[in-house]
Amino acid sequence: MTPGTFDTGKSHRKIAGETRRIKVIRTLTRKSWVHSAAKLVISHMERRGGTPYQIDAIRSFADDFKHAYLKEKPCIYTSAFVPNELIYGLGGVPFLPEAASGFAASFGFARESLAACESLWYSPDLCSFHRAGVGASVLELAPRPAAVVVSSHLCDGGKRSLYQISRYHDCPFYILDVPYTNSVQSLDRLAKQIGKVARGLEHEVPGLSKAHMDEAIANSNAARSHYLRLCNLRANIPSPWRGREALSYVVLFLWSWGSPWLTKFYQALANHAADVIQSGEYPVRNERFRLAWSNLKPYYSPRLFDYLEDECEVSIAFEEFSYMYWDPLDARDPYVSLAKKIMSNPGWGPIERRLEVVNRIIREFSIDGVVQFAQWGCRQYNGATSVLSDYLRKKGIPFLNLDGDGVDARNSGEAQSLTRLGAFLELMESRDIRNSR
Amino acid sequence: MKAGSYVMGIDVGSSVTKGVLLLDGQILSNFMLPTGTDLDATAGECVRRLLSDRGLTQKDILYTVSTGYGRTQVKEADRTITEITCHGRGAKALVPRAELVIDIGGQDSKVIRLDEDGMVADFVMNDKCAAGTGRFLEVMAERLGMSLLDFGRMWKTARKPASISSTCTVFAESEVISLLSRGIAPDEIIRGLCDAVADRLLGMVHRVGLVPDVVMTGGVSKNEGVRLSLEKKLSLKVVVPDASQFAGAYGAAIIGHELAMRN
Repeated sequence: MTPGTFDTGKSHRKIAGETRRIKVIRTLTRKSWVHSAAKLVISHMERRGGTPYQIDAIRSFADDFKHAYLKEKPCIYTSAFVPNELIYGLGGVPFLPEAASGFAASFGFARESLAACESLWYSPDLCSFHRAGVGASVLELAPRPAAVVVSSHLCDGGKRSLYQISRYHDCPFYILDVPYTNSVQSLDRLAKQIGKVARGLEHEVPGLSKAHMDEAIANSNAARSHYLRLCNLRANIPSPWRGREALSYVVLFLWSWGSPWLTKFYQALANHAADVIQSGEYPVRNERFRLAWSNLKPYYSPRLFDYLEDECEVSIAFEEFSYMYWDPLDARDPYVSLAKKIMSNPGWGPIERRLEVVNRIIREFSIDGVVQFAQWGCRQYNGATSVLSDYLRKKGIPFLNLDGDGVDARNSGEAQSLTRLGAFLELMESRDIRNSR
Repeated sequence: MKAGSYVMGIDVGSSVTKGVLLLDGQILSNFMLPTGTDLDATAGECVRRLLSDRGLTQKDILYTVSTGYGRTQVKEADRTITEITCHGRGAKALVPRAELVIDIGGQDSKVIRLDEDGMVADFVMNDKCAAGTGRFLEVMAERLGMSLLDFGRMWKTARKPASISSTCTVFAESEVISLLSRGIAPDEIIRGLCDAVADRLLGMVHRVGLVPDVVMTGGVSKNEGVRLSLEKKLSLKVVVPDASQFAGAYGAAIIGHELAMRN
């Protein structure tokens, strides 16, 4: 298929979003010298004393992107909650179109991706993380997938949009049908499905073999240990790390389990947090309030966080998406371990599981209030807003439902969002003053 | 704070800028003017008029609080506070038994639940579109060729409300044209429009929890038709104080007075 076109069955129809800069970026991402130059830039950053965890994060993506764009390893598209230890363990490299949408928005390319997706009759009502992912894929800003693996849990739009991507690229599509209830039988069923997907990928995608599975599981467990240390450090008052950064690095939390770079990244980040606590150089020094943040954030503008963290001195102490919810994986039984990981996701199953995690975050991170970023088109989170709101109200924890869109700026009103956040802080302040009387 | 101290509250709304001058915590005067495009100049003009009407200068003002969507544009302000907090405080001062405030302004609508001290206990705002706001009603009045002040009178003469299914300003405008072409009486259309705004607010009211003493503030509070639709749908009386349009500015001035006392 010619990039920027869509096969209608009779002809190749041109799609929207195919601009000059998209053509330039598409070309550059496929040039080996660009990836070599990225390596040089990283080395230069290291020599100039750049922040180690930021360098490790860049290195992690630079490594994956090099393998994927230059076709050094099979690129497997996965939906946000597929355990990517499976892909690294098979010697492939994962690519998450939904998470990549956050990148596109951060670097200002979301407009073209959204336009491309909408010109293919996708409804603007669909979550923009999925729309921009589809758009980036058909514009071939993203690398070409050798196969697509999705899971049925949490995002309904994810599996459907990724299915369309697999059709567009004419590659194998696998779906993990995650059972809703947690039982021995459902775990066994899911583990068998994971094994079947692994065998299917080995069979259908040249270059994949489960020879790397032990290594991927070991990497995941090592990263998990560093991550837990980081979580403990983030419970410190004041917060040792900015919430806006944490919400950006959620991409790694979704993407890189099983990669050797994730271990280095979390180790460096935990060391950074420890150094901040040791030195007392906190990013928000006179922390007025500590918030928990639910769902994602607007990736195209830092304004809300400038306001919260810099102007109002309020920390986002922890994010619901960042909560570590699974046990260490067992290399002797990887598919059962990965099935357990999937089934442990608090966003899946009865809502009480999610509420319990929110409650733990409130307790463990000394949270004063909860903000849910109500992502446009997110059925999973927005559908449960009233339950979460009632639960928090009964506990006396202030709650704000902040409508917006993480990728599509057209669905957000920044001035209104700032007013809501401001009023929310004023509400917390008035409660604080009254309680101290 | 010494006796005879003046405090100002300036509310720069999307359509109208309002100002309230307090003397020792009591309303001394108020003033409003269209916001226009130069928020800075409009706010300055509002301040000047409040001062000159009483023969005062900026030096006589102990504290100024600005609010509203243009709150950061008020050069004279010592502090900015959101309109949600200010409308809550202003409504409580105007109607001491107020528990729930419905504020409908030019470009947004808010429902604010107050606690026993008049502090904001919870709030919701409309989403970013014009549905259920003053701008929606202005566009419809323009299309029907009548004044917003006629809405109350015509609401009462309507036998039944016309069915307006959309609160999207553009879609509702085409619905109104379609209803007119079908020969539906303008008063029934007006009642239908008021019902559509009230329906939109109803969901917001129940999100924060309906409590009996409801006060309406903001520019649309002067639209009797919307008030009547709300009362019918909520099955209770909605109080509109005389100075309902100044509730935000008044709340800002009250907070200014408290802050000045604290300082």
